Amino acid sequence: MARNPIPAPSRATMSASGSPQGFLHQTRRGFLSASLTAVGLLALPAALRPAKSASFPAMALAFDGKALLVAGATLSRSDDAGRTQSTLPGPDGILALATHPERPGRVVAGLASGRVAISQDGGRTWKDRVIGNGEGAVDTVTMSAGQPDMMYAAIRGDGIWKSEDAGRNWSLAMDRPWLDNAERDLRALASVDLATGMGGIWIYAGTDTGITRVPDCFCRWQDVQPGNAMDALVAGDAPPPEAPLPSGEPVRALAGAHTASETLYAALPSGVWSSRDAGVVWSRLTSGDASAVAVNPIDPEHIVAALDGGLKQSRDRGTTWFALSTS
Amino acid sequence: MKTMAVVLATGAAATAFVVAAVLAEQRGGEAAAQDVTFLGEPVTAEEIALGQDLYAANCASCHGDNLEGQADWMRRLDNGRMPAPPHDETGHTWHHADRQLFIITRLGVGGVVPGYDSDMPAFKDVLTDEQIRAVFAFIKSTWPERQRTFQADVTANDEGDS
Repeated sequence: MARNPIPAPSRATMSASGSPQGFLHQTRRGFLSASLTAVGLLALPAALRPAKSASFPAMALAFDGKALLVAGATLSRSDDAGRTQSTLPGPDGILALATHPERPGRVVAGLASGRVAISQDGGRTWKDRVIGNGEGAVDTVTMSAGQPDMMYAAIRGDGIWKSEDAGRNWSLAMDRPWLDNAERDLRALASVDLATGMGGIWIYAGTDTGITRVPDCFCRWQDVQPGNAMDALVAGDAPPPEAPLPSGEPVRALAGAHTASETLYAALPSGVWSSRDAGVVWSRLTSGDASAVAVNPIDPEHIVAALDGGLKQSRDRGTTWFALSTS
Repeated sequence: MKTMAVVLATGAAATAFVVAAVLAEQRGGEAAAQDVTFLGEPVTAEEIALGQDLYAANCASCHGDNLEGQADWMRRLDNGRMPAPPHDETGHTWHHADRQLFIITRLGVGGVVPGYDSDMPAFKDVLTDEQIRAVFAFIKSTWPERQRTFQADVTANDEGDS
């Protein structure tokens, strides 16, 4: 399997997204590497080539109902699991996509221009608006799992902003997380419908140094811990077992299954990872250079990932994977 | 002429009343003691008054004389820590259960989020448990009804979990 020669760029999911910084600033080495790899790919038998798509490299994936949206060089939509696709007149520079099962047709896109664009018709028409001072790219967007008109967007070099009115007005919610002695940009966001104990739910975020989360009251960023970690701390008991994502890898995309709040998927350079306990214990579903992942809200067994420069899908929650071909 | 003066005086008084009501609404609740509980027990007017003094002496330097928090409190300080948030309805204090508020004040934020770096000190050697309770009696008395109701629900759920 050929690897994506371009530093995996992306983010997105059903209600989450991500994209590697610097994608828009590819190096000469990257270009040469891409060219050489492309030549090499031409020599491969067709069966070994990654599935092709008009939108590659995929920057973001999202499901609008059962329709798959793929944002890359172009924005495309497939209503038949990838067998056919149509190119949509999406805004330029989409870095992230988000949708919500309770708002069919509504798609939110984070843009490199520092704007968000919102479509109410499945990506066919768009309106955009600036968030903040418009100077930082909107690297990732998501919608609240419990309040579909509540949107969150992360601005590079700035922080996380929120809109309580479906994107019409935005306000700063919180600065970026402080991890390993530095502020970290947010590459991916996912609203996870699990109670925080503070009257709200969690927002998970992927960064260059791993995953973190904040309650939606935005009191403080904090590590992902088992639900009973605090009780164990107070009682002096041994902490519950944990198996975090591999350290030092960027978390490029996060996706949650709305029907199973504790199930999360993450796209990393080492592959697609999954957690069944809200991010405490992770296991790798498939290896490869993963840049985006999305879960079909109609069929939570159905997962699509941008992997090694192509699109792959699983129909069994990530146990087996096969190419998602697009015409 | 006298009638005019009466009308004007009445109008001025009514306007002042309305302005005062609006300001009170903007300022928050100023709830009566019987509307406030902490850790499951009703607070008293005396506790609220004591808490106001304790707040001024121990908390206001960071959280503000009027509970407004530090400027730009959503933006991280140079040391990587977050500024002191407001304790009024514009902050997030009312999202936390009584038990959490008590632990954070007594032990610092690390008491509920292990390893979390914060400028908030532990007050266990500064304030007694009763004094911490009085501080929150005061803070909670300033919240509008919506925030008090929300926080009461959060506290009830937290107690149900414990």
